[in-house]
Amino acid sequence: MPDGSHKSKRQPTFNTIQREESFKNPPKTGSTYPILNEFVTPHIESFNALFDDSGLPKGDGDGRGLLSLGLKDIGERVVFDGSGELGTESGQHGWGNRLSIWIEEVSIAPPRVPDRDTWSTERKIFPTEARERLTSYRGRMQAKVCWSINGNIHPDQFVMRDCGLVPIMVRSVRCNIRSLPSAELVRRHEEPEEFGGYFIINGNERLIRYLILPRRNHVTSLLRPSFANRGPSYTQYAVQIRCVRPDQSSVTNTLHYLSNGSAMLRFSWRKQEYVIPIMLILKALIGASDKEIFDSVMMQDYENTFLTDRVELLLRSFKMYSLYTGDQCLEYLGDKFRVVLGMPEDWTNQALGAWLIQKMVLVHLKSARDKFRMLVFMLRKLYSVVSSSCCADNPDSPQHQEVLLPGYLYGMIIKERLEEALSQVRNQIATDVRKEEPPVDFLDKRYIMKVINKVNWDIGSRMSNFLATGNLVSPSGLDLQQASGFTIVAEKLNWMRYISHFRCIHRGAFFAELKTTTVRKLLPEAWGFLCPVHTPDGAPCGLLNHLSRTCRIITAPLSVAEIPALLAAHGMTQAFSSSIDGRKNLCVQLDGRVIGWARQSVAHQLATNLRIWKTEGRHKVPLDLEIGFVPESKGGQYPGLFLFSTRARMMRPVKFIANGKDDQVGSFEQVYMNIAIKPDEVEIGVSTHVEHAPTNFLSILANLTPFSDFNQSPRNIYQCQMGKQTMGTPSTALQHRTDNKLYRLQTGQTPVVRPHLHNVYAMDSFPNGTNAIVAVISYTGYDMEDAMILNKSAHERGFGYGTVYKSQIIDLKEMRGATKSSASPTLHFGLGHDVRTAEGNGQHTCCQFLDKDGLPFIGTKLDSGDPIAAYIDETTGRTRFVKYKGDEQGIVHEIRMLGMVFALIRVAADGIQGGDTGDTELQKLHITFRITRSPVIGDKFSSRHGQKGVCSQKWPTVDMPFSESGMQPDVIINPHAFPSRMTIGMLVESMAGKAGAMHGLAQDATPFQFSEEDRAIDYFGEQLLAAGYNYYGNEPMYSGITGQEFAADIYIGVVYYQRLRHMVLDKFQVRTTGPVDPVTRQPVKGRKRAGGIRFGEMERDALIAHGTSFLLQDRLMNCSDYSTTWVCRTCGSLISLGYDDISLGESSTGTIKATGPGGEYCRVCRAVAEEDDERARQALTTGQNPDRSPLPGVMVAIPSSNVLRSSSKGGDLDVVAVPYVFRYLCAELAAMGIAVSLEVR
Amino acid sequence: MNQLGQQTTNAGGGGGFIPAPRQDMEYICADCGAKNEIKSREPIRCRECGHRIMYKKRTKRMVQFEAR
Repeated sequence: MPDGSHKSKRQPTFNTIQREESFKNPPKTGSTYPILNEFVTPHIESFNALFDDSGLPKGDGDGRGLLSLGLKDIGERVVFDGSGELGTESGQHGWGNRLSIWIEEVSIAPPRVPDRDTWSTERKIFPTEARERLTSYRGRMQAKVCWSINGNIHPDQFVMRDCGLVPIMVRSVRCNIRSLPSAELVRRHEEPEEFGGYFIINGNERLIRYLILPRRNHVTSLLRPSFANRGPSYTQYAVQIRCVRPDQSSVTNTLHYLSNGSAMLRFSWRKQEYVIPIMLILKALIGASDKEIFDSVMMQDYENTFLTDRVELLLRSFKMYSLYTGDQCLEYLGDKFRVVLGMPEDWTNQALGAWLIQKMVLVHLKSARDKFRMLVFMLRKLYSVVSSSCCADNPDSPQHQEVLLPGYLYGMIIKERLEEALSQVRNQIATDVRKEEPPVDFLDKRYIMKVINKVNWDIGSRMSNFLATGNLVSPSGLDLQQASGFTIVAEKLNWMRYISHFRCIHRGAFFAELKTTTVRKLLPEAWGFLCPVHTPDGAPCGLLNHLSRTCRIITAPLSVAEIPALLAAHGMTQAFSSSIDGRKNLCVQLDGRVIGWARQSVAHQLATNLRIWKTEGRHKVPLDLEIGFVPESKGGQYPGLFLFSTRARMMRPVKFIANGKDDQVGSFEQVYMNIAIKPDEVEIGVSTHVEHAPTNFLSILANLTPFSDFNQSPRNIYQCQMGKQTMGTPSTALQHRTDNKLYRLQTGQTPVVRPHLHNVYAMDSFPNGTNAIVAVISYTGYDMEDAMILNKSAHERGFGYGTVYKSQIIDLKEMRGATKSSASPTLHFGLGHDVRTAEGNGQHTCCQFLDKDGLPFIGTKLDSGDPIAAYIDETTGRTRFVKYKGDEQGIVHEIRMLGMVFALIRVAADGIQGGDTGDTELQKLHITFRITRSPVIGDKFSSRHGQKGVCSQKWPTVDMPFSESGMQPDVIINPHAFPSRMTIGMLVESMAGKAGAMHGLAQDATPFQFSEEDRAIDYFGEQLLAAGYNYYGNEPMYSGITGQEFAADIYIGVVYYQRLRHMVLDKFQVRTTGPVDPVTRQPVKGRKRAGGIRFGEMERDALIAHGTSFLLQDRLMNCSDYSTTWVCRTCGSLISLGYDDISLGESSTGTIKATGPGGEYCRVCRAVAEEDDERARQALTTGQNPDRSPLPGVMVAIPSSNVLRSSSKGGDLDVVAVPYVFRYLCAELAAMGIAVSLEVR
Repeated sequence: MNQLGQQTTNAGGGGGFIPAPRQDMEYICADCGAKNEIKSREPIRCRECGHRIMYKKRTKRMVQFEAR
């Protein structure tokens, strides 16, 4: 700026000073980037929902946590002592005293140091300690187990049972750093922007990945040919509903259509599938008469002969059961399921039947009448699908999907484990009753407490195991399709990768094996919920998605209790009304409950009203209510007005045009809405909504690609992947990290060209690359095929300089000679007397590296094989060393000294006691090595447009081309990188970066900002012109070698370059001689073992085709398993070599055949020759000519060129060169009775 | 005692295992940063705050690399 006044007005665009300030003085309240806490809320709030004091809005419920609700669902377990006499009051079957046990409540405490630890001033455990000590971040869980005898509840009859230490989600309601401000977080050695959402297991950060599940409480129609294979008369038609209980556990009910017109209800109980005729359930639910069932299914549509026929068949076919009343049906069900359910013996069959229905059929509904109505609706939908009056739903569409949230899954597992433990207590008592040794006395409190304590209640270790492995061990399968792969490590490779973990959503491991690719398809229904760009290519493509930036997942229950009354007041016919015409009325459902019926026009009006009310907050309609109005259509989706208020739904904000208010749109309703992308695209009368921003459908990462709307779409996909592999700034609390491997870019910069969201998502706190001057020119010939040339001086100035931090854990407990008991270890770190430490001639070499305490000096440079720690074995008194295993030089960066981490110790009286106090002598080391990784030829770089390349040369600056102002590029790339890939965004970035650098501006690169009328090229061209450059960003340049001007102007500008973590030093594989396989004597494979690279069949074909036989011989024989062997010219055997000890003179058997120079002879031929004599004699005596020895099975010709040496003195053995495996093959074949014969020419 | 024969540097010594000389070294508490003298076989515990992680201090020896 020429004058000062202008300068003062100018707003800073890079916010450098502001950022420095926030780094120096992190905010004392809140955090600098609040959005980071927002996007993990589904993780954290779903975990918080487990507890009664979660702080979530209560909705319609009483605000109880999922664990409490789960306990209610578990109920009680009952056992009898068998003391009763037959026919008495205490039980007509002689049951005796009735003991019922239940869990009253469970509590999980925040992580705290054990009470035995008396010296710690801070009683809380913070996540950083778990990370640094390589332990888990866990809190103690306790369950209050109560019991009653014969229904007499006594306040003393309970025991607090310890359930072990349960992993706690960081920043959840049970975490000690929950809602701490940045300043406090930094004090606790966390990131200032720490947002939590993960668990810490053995020092690793692991999180439960979102999983896509079928939408809850909504009936979807399915058309699967595989259903027809379920049994005779099954067809491909079915309707399915995934019902979710208040505690978020679910049961899937499927209604199959049979070819005889009836339907079967399928559910699974403990992984076993059961099928029940629908009529049985309908009758059992409300004792409905046949007429009632007929009427409610028909709904006055008597002309529909398809329906009448089916319903008639349904009713008639049920006659064979001879069950007429509801009670009879319940009785029947209870009788059949008594053994399976394992419920108290004193329950009647009827009670069991009712319990089964309550537990297994439409579990989201409480009342039997509601279940009946819903089942009838399912039946109607099923018949409608069969008659093709509506189409089958697509289960792969986000319209019919929701999300499995981490906390809910966690709660489900805890619930199931508690249920399991309770059943074990019951079974233990039942066993004791049966054994009668000693006879069980229920009134003895000590006995019951003993049994409760005897059973394994260690839920904590099971949860740790689940998080550590991702494997679900469950007797019921939790209504999920997979049993493993639920958790992932949140890798802190760089900030982009880290935050992506919390937004990724998987379709399910089951679909990964599926041969069909329909599940992977990008569907229009996913718009705004799943990012179309951010998915990996390759095996998980389309299955592993990422949530769009603005997509929310509902985690709070909504209060919708008044909605049915509200709708009824506005024209909805109530559900109990008996005279509803099914042809003209649409079903109105709220969370899978039929709340009424309405004509299409009325339903449409209701939907519109609800939307206005919810956006304006009137009539207590919550904003997150989803209003799915499916209009009537010919053969389309089954119509109705479906309202959803449950949790785990995907929703996103858009603007409601009618009143300009913010609206939340769900994935079900979006399909039937018209949402304009930009305000100027709004069609009057059609569009009801408009997007807040046109980039909202992209994920966070996809949003960070500058000018991504200029690029060909696959390039943006590539950038989303490469952004996650970039060497960047993984963390600002590096010294407190214990990751196995961390990559760090030393001099990260903020990009000149960045989208607006770059600032919002704290990308500048974790820079990921460097602004490079990039010239697009074919200059040296070293830039072919995506290679790039690095300016050597740029490299020397530190361009792309990086460091790798590797860590090694030395645990003395795992060393040889360690005692298994944890009381007093026999190995100690340190130098023993056998190591001379005194300086001088006799000093042990380890003293160069190791300090007096047996630990290495910090800052020592280590080569492979150098000692990094010394320890003394108490039993032998010898000092032993741990060696540094690494191919490259590493510098000892940090040493963390840790005490022993005890396993859980079982204390007899009250079960498990956590022994993890850490209060022991030094037994474990965590050493961080720093490995410098300056860029070398072969390292990978990429721009932010999917344009990756490998550094091919570091070209001296003097030989680099220069512009008229003397600028020389840092990076040269080949022009051929552009035409086929069409990454125009990179060209625009280059211009924008150049202009931004000249004017000192951070350029906004948000996509969809420019148009045909307002072109990006013009905008940045003008800026370039103002800075004195060519309008189009190209400049005349001069060859650095000849000094002549190039014939063409060169496109040169500033592009942000990322250094990818793939580096040659980790990948190069070279070998001349080295280890060989002991069996085949061929080189081993594998880079780690210094092996070779396979010269395979196709490579062999190429050499044959080229006629390069010498090369072929060299590769396949001389450089592989070349060996020489003796072969018998007569019989051709390789394996019949025998030796005469020629030092003893001629053998005693007489000279039958000559031997080789070392006395070698062929044992087969010699034996045959000996037999020949014998045979000749026999032939003379008997006059017969017996058979000759059989010919060998396999004949192999061997050319004379392979014969190295023929025995000169008449022996019939030759030395030939053969591959060693061939000899091995011959031996193996001989073992199977097949002789191989070489025909030596 | 079998280890006596193997110990070349240790003259005499008497019976039984001879513990290595107790080196007291200064370490830094990972929580409060206090300096702690911890002898070998003493528990890893900060005297100030009771924290259970210690860092080794950077060596006072000269560490010199060739700058290449």
